[in-house]
Amino acid sequence: MTMRFATLVVSAMIFISKGDAADAPPSDPVAGRSHWAFQPFADLTETPVADWSQSRIDDFIAARLKQEGVKSVPDAGRKELIRRVYFQLVGLPPTAEQTQAFVENQHPDALEQVVDQLLGSPRFGERWGRHWLDLARYADSNGLDENFLFREAWRYRNWVIDAVNADVPFDRFVLEQIAGDALPYDSIEQRDRQRIAAGFMVIGPKVLLGNDANNQRMEVADEQIDTIGRSLLGLTLGCAKCHDHKFEPVPTADYYALAGILTSTQVMERRYMLGEQRVMERLVGLGQDGDALDSEYERYWRELPQARKKAERAKSALEFLKKDDAEGLKNLVEKNADALSDGAKDATQPSEQRIASQNQLIAELDAAIAQAPPIPPRAMIPSDVDKPADESIRKAGQFNQLGEKVPRGFLQVISTNNEIKIPDGKSGRLELGQWLTDVEHGAGRLTARVLANRIWHHMIGVGIVRTVDNFGRTGELPSHPELLDHLAKTLIDSGWSIKALVREIALSRSFALSSEYDAAAHEIDPDNRLMWRAHRRRLDPEALRDAMLMAAGQLDLSPMGSSVSYLGDQATAVGKNEVRRRTDFPNRSVYLPVIRNDLPELFEVFNFANPHATTGARPNITAATQGLFLLNDDMVMNAAEATAKQLLASPETSESRIDHMFRQILGLNPDDAERTELLDFVAKTESRLASEGDDNASLRAWSTACHALFSTSRFQFID
Amino acid sequence: MRCHQFRHSLTRRDMLRTSAGGFGHLVMSAFAARSGLAAPAAAPALTPTPVGLPHFPARAKRVIFLFMWGGPSHVDLFDPKPRLNQDTGKQLSGKDVGIARDQLGQVMGSPFKFAQHGQGGTWISELFPNVARHADKMCVLRSVHTNGSAHGEALLRLHTGQANLVRPSVGAWVSYGLGSESDNLPAFITISPPRGHGGVQNYGNAFLPAIHQGMAIGSAETPIAKAVIPNLLNKRIGSGLQRDQLDLVQSLNRKHLSNATADPGIEGLIGSYELAFKMQSTMPQIMSLDDESKSTLDMYGVDAEPTDNFARQCLLARKFAERGVRYIQVSTDYTWDHHSKVKEGHVTETAKVDRPIAALLQDLDQRGMLDDTLVLWGGEFGRTPMAENGDGRNHHPQVFSMWMAGGGVKGGLTYGTTDDFGYAPVENPVHMHDLHATILHLLGLNHEQLTYRHAGRDFRLTDVYGNVVTEILA
Repeated sequence: MTMRFATLVVSAMIFISKGDAADAPPSDPVAGRSHWAFQPFADLTETPVADWSQSRIDDFIAARLKQEGVKSVPDAGRKELIRRVYFQLVGLPPTAEQTQAFVENQHPDALEQVVDQLLGSPRFGERWGRHWLDLARYADSNGLDENFLFREAWRYRNWVIDAVNADVPFDRFVLEQIAGDALPYDSIEQRDRQRIAAGFMVIGPKVLLGNDANNQRMEVADEQIDTIGRSLLGLTLGCAKCHDHKFEPVPTADYYALAGILTSTQVMERRYMLGEQRVMERLVGLGQDGDALDSEYERYWRELPQARKKAERAKSALEFLKKDDAEGLKNLVEKNADALSDGAKDATQPSEQRIASQNQLIAELDAAIAQAPPIPPRAMIPSDVDKPADESIRKAGQFNQLGEKVPRGFLQVISTNNEIKIPDGKSGRLELGQWLTDVEHGAGRLTARVLANRIWHHMIGVGIVRTVDNFGRTGELPSHPELLDHLAKTLIDSGWSIKALVREIALSRSFALSSEYDAAAHEIDPDNRLMWRAHRRRLDPEALRDAMLMAAGQLDLSPMGSSVSYLGDQATAVGKNEVRRRTDFPNRSVYLPVIRNDLPELFEVFNFANPHATTGARPNITAATQGLFLLNDDMVMNAAEATAKQLLASPETSESRIDHMFRQILGLNPDDAERTELLDFVAKTESRLASEGDDNASLRAWSTACHALFSTSRFQFID
Repeated sequence: MRCHQFRHSLTRRDMLRTSAGGFGHLVMSAFAARSGLAAPAAAPALTPTPVGLPHFPARAKRVIFLFMWGGPSHVDLFDPKPRLNQDTGKQLSGKDVGIARDQLGQVMGSPFKFAQHGQGGTWISELFPNVARHADKMCVLRSVHTNGSAHGEALLRLHTGQANLVRPSVGAWVSYGLGSESDNLPAFITISPPRGHGGVQNYGNAFLPAIHQGMAIGSAETPIAKAVIPNLLNKRIGSGLQRDQLDLVQSLNRKHLSNATADPGIEGLIGSYELAFKMQSTMPQIMSLDDESKSTLDMYGVDAEPTDNFARQCLLARKFAERGVRYIQVSTDYTWDHHSKVKEGHVTETAKVDRPIAALLQDLDQRGMLDDTLVLWGGEFGRTPMAENGDGRNHHPQVFSMWMAGGGVKGGLTYGTTDDFGYAPVENPVHMHDLHATILHLLGLNHEQLTYRHAGRDFRLTDVYGNVVTEILA
């Protein structure tokens, strides 16, 4: 073991001890500009072109390998490569036929063809949109103290998927999410898309009950700053809430400059829910008559208690009429003129006529009560408050201890231009959205580096900066700083096209390396920071489930709308509310409900992103609960049984059926030893089950074998 | 041993971040770490406990927290206030309890009788006759206070110290600090946890490694006798066939591993299956009460109503405690929230828990375990001295009572005082952060030093707050 790469794994904290900014405090934003992540892009022309390379990316990898005297392993086999490309681009394995076609395609552009086809597939957005949803802390419920359902959140989820499929330039993608409600539009459809996009600002978790309104506003801003800071800028800003940042070049004033923009934005409103008025997420109707439908819906719930009382009074009046109690009726009507129908008011009319008229009124009132208008299509949406204003510094972060007021603005360490003015009467969100990707005067370079690193992380398995959400001084240094700059520049030059960068990485030689072990390289670089081989990765829960359903022929590839519409306003089954989120949909896993604090077991067990906070890198943990899930869960066994049924549907020898099963589940043929092992297992299991009186021993035996293959490391890992 | 090839290349922190989890405590037991035994090659990585912990000798090795969901009324249980009975029906004035607002509501006296118990003369309401017999083991904290007047916020603060941000739960911190004493159980188990008001967050690990998440058994609304651990049993194939199936899986996995050479991911996977398979047989054994004597079952009130459910929960807690689990929480259902009929409600709820709690204290004592087991009792907040809906009481985070027993606290002590109405603390207030600091202290952990680096800074349970309540330490 050598410590040659100590500088790579030790965090950039080292800069602090050396004092990279002379005598300035760490929070000094001007001195802080010397930190690598805020620097201009490096001159990238120095790195020589390597023979080995298939892409400019490979030159940077090759240069470091050469420098450290490490030799990379050979390229991956074609079956491994095609499986890797499919999983990384669309989150699904190739079918046996697709694998075979690729293996047989000797054309030099074979890989390019597959990559372009996958980039154009709607499945791409379902995979890469989910990466963004991890960062957007997407959820279908509020979480925290009161887990109210976000009934409309799925529209935002699907907007993300669609936007990624359409390769909406990332700067536009960001702008619509920060300020989509404030952007001009040419059509109602465009307006609605932008409104839905801005749901990003609303979808965070919030403490809903018993919270002081001013405190709540600040807490919402804190949560938004944390999300924006880490997801887009790779900076942890929260420390600057209470004091000048001890590590990052962010003074408290900068924090409250941003906070002013966000507290000038509202994401909550009072609405009727669970029979009473509550503070909940802000909503707006969609479509041409969206506002009218929304008002009508809200009005129904607002007026329901009154309507019920009115019906009760009408019923009391009816009783008086029936009993011919003129005195009682008079008393009632004196206080409530509306208790009697018009036709029943005239005491000179025959009693039967009055009763009939009153009955009709009651029927009308009851019908109105019974006919709740359908929930109209709505979007979660922020808006500027009536009077946007600068925010005061809160001493020690206490919401009620006001300090100096600071003008709304952005982080000084990455603003070289103070000209960005926030117009009067506006929150500044639009300007914030522009500043985040402004390469010239704003955070654009940093945002591009952070995004490029995320794309690398998802394609390769590990970031160039491994602390993908932390590019600050407490984060790690990049293993290949020039490669990172190359990727960030490529991103910007391509017009912020995620697909273009994914494509470049997918076609690089570095991506296509085998994951094979090499003792010599391992000795020097056990963590594979130099990229001498591919990182072997475990499937995330979405890919794991989708791949099982696909092998079983049960996966429905059509996109899905809401997967939570059957839930009540309380998203978690508590007390009398027994309705719980379902997971038995045949659609891709990206559409499964994400109820905060009640994730599907599959997600809970297999390291899904915690939807309470932005997550750039999911945890990588192996646990016994995963073993239990794979050994015993119904979903797994159902998929195994369906796979077995397919295999048994066509007559063939057991040997050939086993080959078939391997190809269907693992995308490869068994070797002779494996074939024999499986044959023995199936035969033994079948006779065991038959002897136990099982009528369906053959199907059960083959199901158990398919289940075993789902449980293998080959199925669950991308080599 | 093969895993040495990657073990020493990882830093301690890397180990903590990536180490294998769930019931991976099997191989990560403190025993293995202490004795320097490496785990088998096929096992997930090792060592859950930060080096150098505990920080100082522990008074308690484990905690059992008896959580009364909804908010028990302190003025009806542990903090008698004759003044409430004298002034019943009168408006409570803010100036009498030291706050600016006036007209706080109509004072309502307690319908229950209080008496002093034990050598220490601890005041306990007639609703807890059995618990009262253990008064000299108990330290009643009358001056606990928290933030959050709604259940959700108060639950999150009680369990994690925070409400607006997702933070590790107390049990997760204890697991992180001390690891499990057990070979086959996690360090943190929560029996019948609430699904609402923060739900899993109340026993979550947040940014700590997932091994520190509490293992949930059932949930509050389900009787514990019917509780299941998800996927602990295969409903379709017998264990003999499942073993054959697993042997096949592992054989294929080992072949994959031999091609891959020293891949911690595949090794971890192989280990996780063996742990899972072992758990399938050990957990049901522990969860069954068949090995308990008739007299023990009777003492707790198993098979008797209204105690059966809580009795089973408490007995299970003792079994887990015996087997080395560090932090065990037992929760009632959401049944203590008496906005009306506080009298009837409290009669009903105390009847469910009084006998089981007393039995737990006695059982632990008889087994010599009470000395190093900290038992903690309480809810997320108290209830108002003022009436709500005529005969109920509202939420009251300003002050309320909790009690501790065993594990290094002074028995027979009543700590902290409240004003004449039980509205606010007067002497020795104990904030939720102080309570957390004290729990960690009793376990030998310094709450300011038990930190975890996440997102660029060191986090701790008590944030920047918390003082150990040294006066209650034995």
